[in-house]
Amino acid sequence: MSITDLTSMAKPEEEAKEDINEVLNGLKEDVPSFCYQCGKCTSGCEAFILLELEPSKVMALAKSGFIEELKDSDVIWTCLTCLKCKERCPQDLAPVDVLFALKNLSVSSGKQIDSGISNMLQSVLSSGMIQKPKEVRDHKNEGVNREDTGLPECPKPSQEELAKLQQTLMKVAQEKLR
Amino acid sequence: MNRVGVFVCHCGSNIADVVDVEEVVAYAQGLDGVVVAKDYKYMCSDPGGKLIKDCIKEHGLDSVVVASCSPRMHEPTFRSVIDDEGMNPYCLEMANIREHCSWVHKGDEEKATKKAQELVNVAVEKALFLESLEQSEIDVVQEALVIGGGIAGIQAALDIADQGKKVYLVEREPSIGGKMAQLDKTFPTLDCSSCILTPKMMDVARHPNIELLTYSEVEEVDGAVGDFTVKVRKKSTYVDWNECTGCGLCAEACRMKDKVPDGFDMKLGDRSSIYTPFPQAVPLKYTIDPESCIYLKTGKCGEEPPCLEACEIGAIDHEQEDEIVEINVGSIIVATGYDLLDPDELYEYGYGRSEDIITNLEFERIVDSSGPTEGKITKLSDGEDIESISFILCVGSRDEEKQTYCCRIGCMGALKHAYLIKEHMGDEVDINLCYTDIRSFGKGYEEFYRRIRGTDITILRGRPSEIKVDPDHKLSFNIFDTLTDKLLEIESDMIILVPALVPSEGAEELARKLRISQGTDGFFLEEHPKLKPMDTVKSGVFIAGCCQGPKDIPDTVAQASGAASRAMGILNKSRLENDPMIAWVDTDLCVGCGVCVDVCPYSARELNEVTGIAEVDEILCAGCGACIAACPSNACIHKNLTKKQIIRMIDEVA
Repeated sequence: MSITDLTSMAKPEEEAKEDINEVLNGLKEDVPSFCYQCGKCTSGCEAFILLELEPSKVMALAKSGFIEELKDSDVIWTCLTCLKCKERCPQDLAPVDVLFALKNLSVSSGKQIDSGISNMLQSVLSSGMIQKPKEVRDHKNEGVNREDTGLPECPKPSQEELAKLQQTLMKVAQEKLR
Repeated sequence: MNRVGVFVCHCGSNIADVVDVEEVVAYAQGLDGVVVAKDYKYMCSDPGGKLIKDCIKEHGLDSVVVASCSPRMHEPTFRSVIDDEGMNPYCLEMANIREHCSWVHKGDEEKATKKAQELVNVAVEKALFLESLEQSEIDVVQEALVIGGGIAGIQAALDIADQGKKVYLVEREPSIGGKMAQLDKTFPTLDCSSCILTPKMMDVARHPNIELLTYSEVEEVDGAVGDFTVKVRKKSTYVDWNECTGCGLCAEACRMKDKVPDGFDMKLGDRSSIYTPFPQAVPLKYTIDPESCIYLKTGKCGEEPPCLEACEIGAIDHEQEDEIVEINVGSIIVATGYDLLDPDELYEYGYGRSEDIITNLEFERIVDSSGPTEGKITKLSDGEDIESISFILCVGSRDEEKQTYCCRIGCMGALKHAYLIKEHMGDEVDINLCYTDIRSFGKGYEEFYRRIRGTDITILRGRPSEIKVDPDHKLSFNIFDTLTDKLLEIESDMIILVPALVPSEGAEELARKLRISQGTDGFFLEEHPKLKPMDTVKSGVFIAGCCQGPKDIPDTVAQASGAASRAMGILNKSRLENDPMIAWVDTDLCVGCGVCVDVCPYSARELNEVTGIAEVDEILCAGCGACIAACPSNACIHKNLTKKQIIRMIDEVA
């Protein structure tokens, strides 16, 4: 590659770019090369205001092959998966799926991911839920017994369901890592 | 069987680099019926033509096979070559060994050569039974029809009429003028649109060679180039236009005065039920809109419809009915224009959820001093003053789910509007223009863009994702400006959307009536995108303006003049020759079942009233072959493409 990013001395990574394009092809989505940078995705991105996720910039970098800096960035983990970018893109592209591909690339390359996210993963594996149900509190903000309030019991997966979920997740994870 | 000569062309290196031309010649020499086979570097050149002529003379050939490019390219060339030598021009067969062989089989010379040999073999089988055909001639009706009375139709009609031919100009609205009549100013020169259009409209009205058929629509088209028969429905206007003076007293008296949304003003203003679309309408005659007229809807309008009393000359006739006029023309120009995409298709932009979110065409009427607000720009929701106006470009354009193409006029139109707002309101108002790419490709356009950049207007590169509509009419949106990497929140009193252009309503139906094609985008398809941009697949039917694809006024006018010139090419002839490669009927075999009459898409087949046997109208038949495939008695035969020829051709490669 004859192109060099003079701020980081990085070179476009054709292989990583191809990996991402392959994932998109598998999802029957068009690749970032079709993006003409109108910025509509970033204008409406729910994660931009607080978390500085710029889907249009992600598309531009993925299109140019500067994957490393995306893969290592924490920002790709801030996507809320609201799908607005995919729904409204005039070129029918899916920045949200590019972000998923990047997150998968990041994990399989062994990068230590943010503890908040790995905690969520642990919680899903052990209880089937992202987080434990919150304690019920009354109007004085004092904890009360859920049963006494007449609320139905919190739904949670049965042992068999949980085992099946764990198996499936592990299988998917192994496939991704392979 | 004919004595056949085979002539193989190298096309420079186009064919010879991939196909072994000498081997093809050697192969051809061995075929039954071939008396001579030659090759040459450029068979289409003069020396190539001479080679063919010499062989015809020397070997007494009956038919010729030329193995070269597509017949679309050089069939006429070689027909004229053999015609020069006294051979019937239809005794020619072409084997396409370039587009169908050398160009697509680069890198596999051996197979390409074998394929070329087979293509030659098949062509020879056909050439063995080619017969001399004679062209029939038809008289050309030296009059034209122009469908659509916008600037394209006006220009085309004037060009033809000025050259001395009669033109029928059909327009479905009560007045000609089209979209251009609705515009305030035109970019980049800022000419007043109606000031440059109305003189042309008057020229049309006055021209002795133009017959205007407004408030009319094409019902049916029959016939072929040189002699079309067209039925036009003159919709009832409920006013005798021979009598109407356009005084307007009827509209003043109408009980529905100022109660009917005015389509010309994009429904931002109101008119009466009896109306003329705008003051400079051509013709300046009144029309009753049956959708809103109380009398036409209920049969009663007070004691007596007030329009009847107001019209001193008694021109109003509520009983008038539609009239069908039949006209005969040699050529047709289609100039039916465009519509705007309904911006509601992009729900996120809130069109229809606030009166202050409007289209660029609606803004044209607002900013026009003869429009519903007389040029005053205020909020449409509550009439309050405006402090900020924003533009959103490419609404549904360059969009894979809506219209994939560029509208070509949106950028320049928005820049023009920004200028006009400044002109009307000074620097009191903030203007924000959100663009994706500014396309200022025309003459003087880039200079105009620079001029606007120098004014106090905020040009942002980006596209909002959604417009928020507050219950108290406040509008706002976020836009990520890709040049500064900043997410900006913009509050605006008015938002102008610049929607995509789509073919005008009814384009599909008209395409069916005229038997012309549409592209996937719905615009009428030109015969060749570069070299025949005004022609259609239907000979004698031409297209001009936005019905062929989005374009600005200069391009529209240029194309209209071009289409007029193409039409004149037909109208200037008194007689046209017909392609003789059409169907004919073996009267011994025909049983008169009439299947051919049913399947013919060109109305070229009829049963003879006396004999009951099928006949072919040689003028209308296009040689499509539908009747040949359908005929259960094998009585329909395609001249020079008989079943015997086709079966022999298939047998050779089977």
